[in-house]
Amino acid sequence: MDEIVAEYIRRTVLKIPRDEIKTVLQKWGFLSEAQLQTINFCQIKENISQDVVQLCEENSAGVKQAAVLDIIYNHIYSNKRVWSVYQMNKTGEETDFFDVTDFKKKFKRRLQSALTNVTINFREYEDNAIWIRIAWGTPYTKPNQYKTSYVVYHSQTPYVFISVSVLKRNLPLLCQALVAASNYHDIHEMELRSHSLNSLKDIVFKRYSQNFQSYYPRPIQERNVGPENSRIIQENRNEKERIQRVNSEVFGDGPQPKLEFARYKLETMFKSDPQMNVLNKKEPFRCLVKFSSPHLLESLKSLAPVGMADAPLSPLLTCIPHKARNYFKIKEKKGVSPRSFVSP
Amino acid sequence: ARRAGGPFANPEERKLSLLDPQRIAFLLRKQWTLYSVTPLYRFSNAHLRNYSRLLSAFIAAERQKGWAVEVGVELDIKVAVSSLPDLKGSDQDHAAILVELFSRSPASQKTSEEKLIWSGWFCSVCGDDFFENMPEDFTCLPLFLTNGAESYTAIVGSWFQKTFDCCFHRLAISPLNLSWMAAMWTGCKVDKTASAMELIFSVPGLLQPLDISYAIHPEDAKALWDTVQKTPGEITQEEVDIFMDCLYSHFHRHFKIRLSAAKLVKVSTAIASAHCDGIIKVSLGPEIGVLAVVWTGRLLCPLAETQA
Repeated sequence: MDEIVAEYIRRTVLKIPRDEIKTVLQKWGFLSEAQLQTINFCQIKENISQDVVQLCEENSAGVKQAAVLDIIYNHIYSNKRVWSVYQMNKTGEETDFFDVTDFKKKFKRRLQSALTNVTINFREYEDNAIWIRIAWGTPYTKPNQYKTSYVVYHSQTPYVFISVSVLKRNLPLLCQALVAASNYHDIHEMELRSHSLNSLKDIVFKRYSQNFQSYYPRPIQERNVGPENSRIIQENRNEKERIQRVNSEVFGDGPQPKLEFARYKLETMFKSDPQMNVLNKKEPFRCLVKFSSPHLLESLKSLAPVGMADAPLSPLLTCIPHKARNYFKIKEKKGVSPRSFVSP
Repeated sequence: ARRAGGPFANPEERKLSLLDPQRIAFLLRKQWTLYSVTPLYRFSNAHLRNYSRLLSAFIAAERQKGWAVEVGVELDIKVAVSSLPDLKGSDQDHAAILVELFSRSPASQKTSEEKLIWSGWFCSVCGDDFFENMPEDFTCLPLFLTNGAESYTAIVGSWFQKTFDCCFHRLAISPLNLSWMAAMWTGCKVDKTASAMELIFSVPGLLQPLDISYAIHPEDAKALWDTVQKTPGEITQEEVDIFMDCLYSHFHRHFKIRLSAAKLVKVSTAIASAHCDGIIKVSLGPEIGVLAVVWTGRLLCPLAETQA
């Protein structure tokens, strides 16, 4: 077995939390159940990884097997990477029958014709997701298995999720290959990025709970605010309930897709109370605003109830899932009165 | 209303502009952790050499006791305590005192190759009216800034505490003072490649914590500040409030979020940055950088005095 492959497998195993190594290896299926029984999974990871490499040696593992292990690792721990969403466009109405074999063949051919030194591996999952792993080389060097990009393509949709990390210069090539292989016309990057691949899918496939307009105003008694104590009077009860209701309408009642950040590049005019006699420039007031949180949408949803924000929250924020984007460039709307202003 | 200097607004600051850039280079592009210090009893500029020796011995003794910081390599630590006579806010202020720890590995003892591993300096930039009631034997150097490992800070601090009967406290910087710094530093003229003026907020009390970074193009921020500041060389609380309110309301207009209710955690400009945990970093220099420290010091010194 190639030393590089051995080392690569060893490092991949080391990345996995110890308690989960056995499961991942089983999913991989390259080592037999009997072989797995011979490994002591209670020892330190260093030793486990050595044992695994030993067994892989016995089975003569090659680059392909190592690549598949890597895909499996990234599929399970996809939140270790940042994923961007791309959308492909077709001209015309034809929905071609999707042939996976044909797709893989065309993708490989297109990519390899431009760059011979690449390793390409595929793996299909139940939800019609095709995972593609590409290890990049250069015209003069062999593919570097540590310099990889991952693509997740859902064949029934025009969406592709790409995690590039390094070597962004290969991105156009990758996009071209995708378009050619899937019989689309072109591809563009959506302004939507996150560590949570599933949340990105939820957003573009509209799988999160949408807000439903409810025309049945819930009677006040239904809103349970804890044990009734006649000596406690909720001063802002009406306002609190209005906020809850508006929040519900705007965000929906279900769990929010998990995003970690949103970024807004503002190029709007600075407006102030004319009495204050401050800045009154004709040029935009340039700002860059970044929101970050382990769970951004839930965080934003909780702002109004704690009094930090108005309800409803600005559409610039609430539109994130509907518009399927978390990177925005906001300019002043032309020829509109200052009150109603910008659109995302 | 409070007065704070604009660039070279008063004679002391003009004096600062004559400081040897070499001597104050140590200050720049480093992160300084701030402490407030109570007055030092029987401290004397005449004994700085002595202090260097004593502190050296103290550190060596502590290391014998097993307080070793570096595992393995035996490091020889040399202490240098020096005075920076020009680094002070006014004539009344005591000159700044610089403490430096150098390490010399046994291998390079033949050469005099020394590596600076820790520095700290005491300074007083409080201005004239501060020293009226200071008793004779006490030296007032209320601000202590450190750069380097926490463990060295602890050991130097404990020697000063034992020797001069003083106390050190970490200095927090309130959102009010952070706003002042943001306004002061924004007003300085910087070149076209300057970085943005950034305010970082954190929203407390949420189930899912939220951080907000609000960065404004430095030219636009300065343009706004210039229309707010009425007298060059003078800044009032009211002006700082107006400046911040303008930024808050611009933000609210877009996002409907009340930034004034969030916690201002850090401000950062091309000149300097400050964090509420009492950490500052001065980026540009030399004169502007030193001024940034002096202004910060002025803001924080009275604070240091009350917190200590």
